[in-house]
Amino acid sequence: MIDRHPALFRIVTRTGLLMACAATWAARGAEPTKIDFGRDILPILSNNCFHCHGPEDGERKGKLRLDTHAGALGTGKSGATTVVPGKIADSELIQRIISQDDDEVMPPRAAKEKLSLKQIELLTRWVEQGAPWGKFWAFEAPAKPAIPNIENPAAEIQNPVDAFVLARLEKEKLAASPAADRRTLIRRLSLDLTGLPPDLATVDAFVRDTRPDAYERLVDTLLASPHFGERWGRHWLDLARFADSAGYLNDTLRPYAYLYRDWVIDAVNRDVPFDRFTVEQLAGDLLPDATLEQKIATGFHRNSLKNDEAGADLELDRTKAAVDRTATTGAVWLGLTVGCAECHTHKYDPLSHREFYQLYSFFNATAEREISAPRPAELAEFNRKQAAWEKERDRLAAPLRDHVATLVGPPSAAWEAALARPVERWTLLAPEEITTITEDEERIGPPNADGSFTTGARDSVRTRYVAKARVEARGVTGLRLEALADLGGKVGRARTGDFHLAEFSAMLKTPDGAQHKLEFAHARADFETKSAPAKGTLDGDNTTGWSITGKTDAAHVIVFELKSPQDFPAGSQLYVELEHRITGVMTRFRLATTAGVLPLTPDLLPDELVAILDQPAERRTPEQALVVASHVARFSDATGQKLFAPLAAHYSKQPEYPKTAAPILVTHERKTRIHLRGEYQRPGDEVEPGTPAVLPPLRPRGARPDRLDLARWLVDPANPLTARVTVNHVWQHLFGRGLVATVDNFGVLGEPPSHPELLDYLATEFVQLGWSRKQLIRLIVTSATYRQSSVLRQDLAERDPQNVLLARQSRQRLEAEIVRDVFLASSGLLNPRIGGPSIYPALPPFVLAFGRNKSWPETKGPEKYRRGLYIHLRRNVPYPMLATFDASDASVACLHRERSNSPLQALTLLNDPVFVECHERLGEQLAAQPADSTDEARLRHAFERCLSRPPAAAELAAMQRHFDHQLLLAQGDRRLAFVAAARLIMNLDEFITRE
Amino acid sequence: MQACGGVGGVALSHLLGQDGLLAASSSAGGVVLPGRTHHQPRAKNIIYIYLEGGPSQMDLYDPKPMLNQLDGQSLPESMLKNMRFAFLAKESARIMGTPRTFKKYGQCGMELSDLLPHIGSIADDICLVRSMHTDQFNHVPGQLLMNTGSAISGRPSMGSWLSYGLGSGSKNLPEFVVLICVGRGVPGGSASWASGFLPSKYSGVMFRNEGAPVLNLDNPTGFTAAMQERNIRGVAELNALRHAAVRDPEIDSRIAAYELAFRLQSAAPELMDLSGETQATLDLYGVDRTEPKIEGGNQLGGTGLFGTFARNCLMARRLVERGTRVVQVIHASWDHHSRINTDLPHNCLMADQPIAALVKDLKQRGMLDDTLIVCGSEFGRTALGENRPGQRAVTGRDHHPNAFSLWLAGGGIKGGQVVGETDDIAWNVTKDPIHVHDLHATILHQFGFDHTKLTYRFQGRDYRLTDVHGHVVKKLLA
Repeated sequence: MIDRHPALFRIVTRTGLLMACAATWAARGAEPTKIDFGRDILPILSNNCFHCHGPEDGERKGKLRLDTHAGALGTGKSGATTVVPGKIADSELIQRIISQDDDEVMPPRAAKEKLSLKQIELLTRWVEQGAPWGKFWAFEAPAKPAIPNIENPAAEIQNPVDAFVLARLEKEKLAASPAADRRTLIRRLSLDLTGLPPDLATVDAFVRDTRPDAYERLVDTLLASPHFGERWGRHWLDLARFADSAGYLNDTLRPYAYLYRDWVIDAVNRDVPFDRFTVEQLAGDLLPDATLEQKIATGFHRNSLKNDEAGADLELDRTKAAVDRTATTGAVWLGLTVGCAECHTHKYDPLSHREFYQLYSFFNATAEREISAPRPAELAEFNRKQAAWEKERDRLAAPLRDHVATLVGPPSAAWEAALARPVERWTLLAPEEITTITEDEERIGPPNADGSFTTGARDSVRTRYVAKARVEARGVTGLRLEALADLGGKVGRARTGDFHLAEFSAMLKTPDGAQHKLEFAHARADFETKSAPAKGTLDGDNTTGWSITGKTDAAHVIVFELKSPQDFPAGSQLYVELEHRITGVMTRFRLATTAGVLPLTPDLLPDELVAILDQPAERRTPEQALVVASHVARFSDATGQKLFAPLAAHYSKQPEYPKTAAPILVTHERKTRIHLRGEYQRPGDEVEPGTPAVLPPLRPRGARPDRLDLARWLVDPANPLTARVTVNHVWQHLFGRGLVATVDNFGVLGEPPSHPELLDYLATEFVQLGWSRKQLIRLIVTSATYRQSSVLRQDLAERDPQNVLLARQSRQRLEAEIVRDVFLASSGLLNPRIGGPSIYPALPPFVLAFGRNKSWPETKGPEKYRRGLYIHLRRNVPYPMLATFDASDASVACLHRERSNSPLQALTLLNDPVFVECHERLGEQLAAQPADSTDEARLRHAFERCLSRPPAAAELAAMQRHFDHQLLLAQGDRRLAFVAAARLIMNLDEFITRE
Repeated sequence: MQACGGVGGVALSHLLGQDGLLAASSSAGGVVLPGRTHHQPRAKNIIYIYLEGGPSQMDLYDPKPMLNQLDGQSLPESMLKNMRFAFLAKESARIMGTPRTFKKYGQCGMELSDLLPHIGSIADDICLVRSMHTDQFNHVPGQLLMNTGSAISGRPSMGSWLSYGLGSGSKNLPEFVVLICVGRGVPGGSASWASGFLPSKYSGVMFRNEGAPVLNLDNPTGFTAAMQERNIRGVAELNALRHAAVRDPEIDSRIAAYELAFRLQSAAPELMDLSGETQATLDLYGVDRTEPKIEGGNQLGGTGLFGTFARNCLMARRLVERGTRVVQVIHASWDHHSRINTDLPHNCLMADQPIAALVKDLKQRGMLDDTLIVCGSEFGRTALGENRPGQRAVTGRDHHPNAFSLWLAGGGIKGGQVVGETDDIAWNVTKDPIHVHDLHATILHQFGFDHTKLTYRFQGRDYRLTDVHGHVVKKLLA
């Protein structure tokens, strides 16, 4: 053998490794296969060499570059040619990696990297075989491989999956494991597909089902179960870093985050094809005629953390969210550590710093929105209440209407005669937009139809509003601000209904571009308090201002007189700024100008009414007469006011439209610049949206690519990564380990696939199956490979403890949420209701005590027995049981969960009140069985109910012995002894394991 | 499995260690040192006292006589440029003097405020750093940076890195314990002691201050200790039968975990029971002190905790004695935006004596040499008085990241010295700046770890506590 490899012979002789190497070869006993550059060589080069001889210009040593073909064939600083195809002795690369000279050898002695003998051998054979170059395997589109021919007639082949697995096992001279027994299979399938254990009757039926396709029927039943969406939806929520709060200091709750969770569960249940599933989540808002549900899907990227602490750098936080969205998209769909290129060009994968920001620009050009998304049940409830409210309103309004009719004519005329009408007439400003400035945040909102503006219920007391309006007027003498209140409502947003206007100012911008501040002489209000007079709004001191404490139920008005009349030439822009400071903002306000004679009066007569009164009574329409009469009734007629009072009270009780608002992502154009070293305050070149050059080109619909183009590009069958990465996720959930073990990294630093052909078969098949998640899962779980027993054979314990070769199934501890689910289900406590807001199971107060956000409205009644995936996930206060069992912490996409095994888990299953209740419920049911049922039968029943199999004789005997002993210790308390028995069974490793 | 984490060189010892420790019968206190560090460690344990919120350096550690002379003056524009504040309006803010007086303590003559007489009495044991600086001026990012080395959440805490590197020292207790005096709440929440992408077993375990220290330690009503033991034996027996059938080694770990849980159930009450402590020790910590009323009532929170805080300091020693390697003692809050002259003295009255007692107690028991004490926070406070809009009077200081103080003791730290200097108003560091990353590098160094080599692979990258920064500060070391 060595004869045929003279080069290797020379190397090993030179390095004195002959024996070791020969032994390796002999052990393998096989002809060395042809070197595949992408699979065999590139990972070695990138792991060991690229750090200094890779894509990053600044880091490159010795002017040598090994990440390009030209670079590898060229010369470095030393002048020696790096790689001479076919000639080992002339190739500096080979000579340097085998050098015994401390100054010569590569990687340098001081480096962390060190080549193994196997790697040296591979590189040598690669040069010897002509140093072929190629692309890394994961960047080449998968081609459907030929299905291997398995000659062993005894081999069990259910579908092509098995052929690929068996081909590898044959090579390794290993036998597959036999199929697991039916009880194990139904429990495995139920837990894998629905996350719930099968009940006893279902197990019995399956065990007795003799039809040849009994297994396939079971698979189809489980795939059709609505719990399938919960199980596989929760897997997806790990990738979506889903949580019910925003993280950071305030950890602000996201009460409607569940809408996205509901969307996921529903989409998985409907088996929305994965390409559409992708497009809707990344760009549902951009689809033509996007539905509410498609917009809700964009909640995927609303799960980023958000820092809303006072004084936080909001632009920094916004850019960090966009970085998170970029990195998450890269990790979830492409399986690449895209995030590494945030600060510099990726050291290993072909992803430049610029390309990162090209991807980033898709997410940089977004904004967060909350859109009204009432659930059907909420809407029905609202409509019911609204109808009832309207009925009552009409009942209360009827006598008022009758009374107003009596005020038309002479009574109104009398009132009018006594009325002092304002001299001036007002022209409403029609603002184009109103900017709301709170801390560092700015929002722009449209005004209402009547020119008024309704402030946000959550606007801070320190909010400023800037109204921008086109004006054209001559001799303007003053401005008016109305604080309006709706019937039954309050005029300000402070808890008392008060507001506090700290400063009022206005600036005029004339068409020539000149700007000047308008100078005001006086401010007068219809009402003011001693401590907060109107004049405080013009004194330049924002600690003083105007309030209406004590009269918060009705509208108020304040007028501002200009020092001298002003002309607003055509095309002028007027900017009016209202600065609030303490107490609260106005609920709704409206602005107007006048050219009236000074002094201006802060008159409360509405403009509409004044306009009517300006006309002689005989020329008014009946409607106008009614308006006047209504005003009289409301403000100056004792009977009218008495009739108005209950109506106003009724208005304050108007049913509220459901607040449910979906957090979604929308487009908001922004230019993107590279952030040097990842710092947004150090902008570099401007970049356009784009995708990495190593992957197939983006095919935008228009001139400028948008998120929809990106989403479609991800699921374009030409994309080499998405389908592979996705089937790998699925495989991981069904075998405990991905075909690519580094599920988060398909790049060159990741592990190569254990079964490359199988991976490509599944990836191409997935696309052919119309990206159907259910069909893909069906394909895998109906394979003989999946059905194998998970018993650890002696030979495999030594050869393949990690189960890379798949000569058996894997035994896996259940995920955190599923641990809870099997307890609830087996005890009979489970409430299987699907979807809706999160639940708050009881929590010891000290768990909440250290967080800022301490509210925890404990869920009571049947709701508290709902499945684990509905538990409220507060980022700063993880639910202890979930954290103890390695649930995702939702800070970044979690592609693989740990499966730790700790004493705290033991304490949780033994003593956590939720689980104690489960022990008790099961124990009490055992104790309550008919008197003719033996203890042994009861124990057998509990065991079978929890583990889906009858106990073996030794197990039953042990249980009986422990039960008898506990009965003694419990001084004959049979209930307690049976609870102890349930507690024993429910703490078995097997109970929280899928075998 | 390598995905949400691969195992870096050093920590492999721990994975083995966890099982090893269950089997190993050990000497005094159950301490087993894995001894797989990069170099000879100087410290074995750490007690990290975290005074959340940013205590004022110029009122406690860093005397600034100029402050009172400059009282009422504004800062030059150049010093305010590029500064961000949480609440302070920088255009109109003025320097605020301090009523505090400073005096020299110990042989070394360390100057400390009149609020810290007990810490003064251990001046010769502590190394006071006046030149700390950080990048973050808000609590959460500041706390995350201080406690996890990154202002972005999701990274492992320093304590998790240490327990990952060190392996367990205790047979019966968690290796990383967090003791909290609630106060107004720790803004960063559990992120300050969470394990991030490290396996969850490296997470700090939060102990309750009263009753059972961890969740679910007490058996359900009706279950006697004898029944519990019988239950654990039953679980072990049936698990063993299953193991014989399916041969999954994970079942062995499960059996061991139940046994450790059972031991924890008896070890924890012993830990919490102070009846074995002498009255002299209890008095040293001030466990039974009565708390004076705070003038103007409790506004910031963090009061009513004199007994709890003292007890937690004592508990820290008891934990370390019993093999727990990392203890974090947290009190919130020191965030004195207002009422600094009433609330800060109150907090100091609470904290000064027990903290000093802990150092003295460890020293007299010969435990200070290998136990590192760190007492600090996420940032300092401004020399400028806080003129938050809407606030009636200026009575406090805002967050300040440029310069702040903290101190270390024991664990191979050179006591009796002051490192670093700041300018006349403690605004900027003028000598020996020490960044948070440098502090972390130095702490890891004391435990025998090269901070550039204690790594963990996650999402394709080798992460470390100090990111790509940090230098060991040799000046701090004995």
